[in-house]
Amino acid sequence: MSRTSRRASISMRAKTLLAGLAGLTLLVAGCGGGGTSGGSTKTQGVTITVALSSEPPPQSVLAEFTKQTGIKVNWVNIDWDSLQTKISAAATAKTYFADATNVDWSRVGQLSRLGWFYPMDTYLDTKALAPDMPQLASFTINGRVIGIPYDASFMVTTINKELFRKAGADVSPKTMDEYTAALRQIKAKGVVKYPLNIPFAAAEGLSTYWYETTHAFGGTILDQAGKPQFAAPNSPGYKAAAWMVDALKSGLVPPGNINVADTQGQQTLMAKGQVASTFSDYSGMIGTIYNVPASSSVVGKVAYIRTPGVGGVAANLSNPDGIGIPKQAKYPNAAAKFISWFTDAKQQTDFSGVNGPEKAFPSYPIPSHLSAVRTLTTKGGLVGGAALGEMLRTSKPVFEGGAPSWYPKFSNAVYTNLHAAATGSTSVSAAVNAIADTANKLAAGS
Amino acid sequence: MTVPGPGRRRGVGLLPYALVSPVVLFIIGLALVPAVFTVVQSFYRVDALDPPTRFDGFGNFVRLAHDKAVVGSIGNTALYVLVGTVLSTVLGIAAAVVLHKPFRGRSVVIAVLILPWALPGVVEGILWTGIYDPNAGLVNGVLSSLHLGGSGVLLGENRLVTIALIELVQVWQIMPLSALLVLAALQLIPDELYEAAEIDGCGAWSAFLHITLPLARPGIAVAMVQALIMTLNVFDQPYVLNGAASTGASITEQTYFISFQDLDFGQGYALSLSVTIATLLISLIVVKFVYRRVDL
Repeated sequence: MSRTSRRASISMRAKTLLAGLAGLTLLVAGCGGGGTSGGSTKTQGVTITVALSSEPPPQSVLAEFTKQTGIKVNWVNIDWDSLQTKISAAATAKTYFADATNVDWSRVGQLSRLGWFYPMDTYLDTKALAPDMPQLASFTINGRVIGIPYDASFMVTTINKELFRKAGADVSPKTMDEYTAALRQIKAKGVVKYPLNIPFAAAEGLSTYWYETTHAFGGTILDQAGKPQFAAPNSPGYKAAAWMVDALKSGLVPPGNINVADTQGQQTLMAKGQVASTFSDYSGMIGTIYNVPASSSVVGKVAYIRTPGVGGVAANLSNPDGIGIPKQAKYPNAAAKFISWFTDAKQQTDFSGVNGPEKAFPSYPIPSHLSAVRTLTTKGGLVGGAALGEMLRTSKPVFEGGAPSWYPKFSNAVYTNLHAAATGSTSVSAAVNAIADTANKLAAGS
Repeated sequence: MTVPGPGRRRGVGLLPYALVSPVVLFIIGLALVPAVFTVVQSFYRVDALDPPTRFDGFGNFVRLAHDKAVVGSIGNTALYVLVGTVLSTVLGIAAAVVLHKPFRGRSVVIAVLILPWALPGVVEGILWTGIYDPNAGLVNGVLSSLHLGGSGVLLGENRLVTIALIELVQVWQIMPLSALLVLAALQLIPDELYEAAEIDGCGAWSAFLHITLPLARPGIAVAMVQALIMTLNVFDQPYVLNGAASTGASITEQTYFISFQDLDFGQGYALSLSVTIATLLISLIVVKFVYRRVDL
């Protein structure tokens, strides 16, 4: 073999080997990235990934945290639905996804049963936190705390005072009857064509609206064993469903609301003054939507009222966002330090912007610490702060003892059936029975 | 002329295989292995909330057949497929015929036409949410200003209307590709055929029926199959526009709910496998009846 042909042959073999190696590398890379359950206890000189459905706090604030602790934060903003899918996919595949991420109140039962998150009570003194953080109860199941609430969202009634006053309606109705009468008066006087916003789209917002309305009628959805409490026609849950559907059929709710989701209703109906009230709105909406001139035509006109009940005002149900540590976290101890800092009362006060805009966390609605809410109220940094503080103090979890592990399937049955009742494709009775059947089957484990 | 020796031929013979090996491994790793895994797992009970994983025979398929939401979604998906495939093919052929003839600004029209195809389905869903918004949307605004339609057109109220409106959004997305596929087939038809037909007294409509349509059948078949696959797997548009409402939920939406909300992956695998088999079978039927080999 000549030197030239030998060189050509070696070169060909080298190319073949290189191509084969490239293929092998791709395969190894594709199959790599396995689980790291256990993680490192290191808290110095590490970078943690925090995945939440929110813009990050100001870089200067995160830099200050890094300076204090030696922990760098890589903030990943993912929309809520995608985030839940990612949490499930990563946990099922036992792969690393983030060191700290969202724990939604509705998934606490599921997450507890699956053991996908570290109990936060092993990292933080949650018993000491509880008196100042009432919504911790929504994240506690079987005595373990799955996540720490970082914003105090809860269901609350909002009214457009100007529209109520124009109709001569009571601006502080205490009972469901008084509230319904006020809405009818607004419609009768022609102040607005449809005074009430109920988001009837088949989505989670419809379920939570029904839970709050059920609570206002004096009942609960499920008992501690997960049995439905709303099947009987005289039960509060049944009355709540009937009241909501009747409000639509009788023209209190815009007919188009059968396909309006909660955020759409807030932005296109309440914020534009097309409706006068949302019975089950979210706390913080006045500050983040209704009083923002760029997106609202009702600035200064909307107020929170104590939620009307059967014989007087009702308590508000919690709907908070929490943060926890997945079992596949690389640096669980560092993540715990971050969570402790992120949910600290002083930090929450800073996030709310009363200590300077440079410290404000733009998409931050309400602190989860009562003491932080009080500070904000005193400094005038929270619209309706006094009312919200009192509502937060007395707020209750939707499910005493934590949401059941099968909650997502139950909620799907709730919103699809209530939506069907609203469209007229089924009756309220059939819808409620279908929801109760689903709950009974799920509670029985079938 | 130099004749390569046997050793050199062997070397060249291995190199192409080595060069394609990364792609082959990629396809095996990312398509074949998951496909086999899905087939196997669909016969197992894989429920994160009910461990351990265990053999379940046809259990997943039986439970799916008794799930009202799944059964309802099969009917909805059949309507999506019917409306979407017919509309996108008819509109695609029409657009291709118009674009086939040269005119000023043709390339700009093609570029604009392709835009919806390039947009993600979720973005289109959000865009059309505004258009269909029952209280402030364009459609109901126009109907209201013309004093038509009473309370307007409402997504979610009536199954047929809901599916038609949602599918319209998907057709807007997939029609450009159908048009381009048919256009590619039209460009292969020799002009002489049309000239000969014209000499024989054949009109434009007759030429379309007897020359264009038969000779474009390979392109039309491919366009129909791609429309079929897209509509059978529709997710983004119904999810964004109509949520989980039974009036419009598709099979793929149910697969998502079962897998990622209920964490019952076994049923998720079984439903995915069923959709794949249905896609294959219907595609074969379309190809058998529409596709014809054309030698020009």
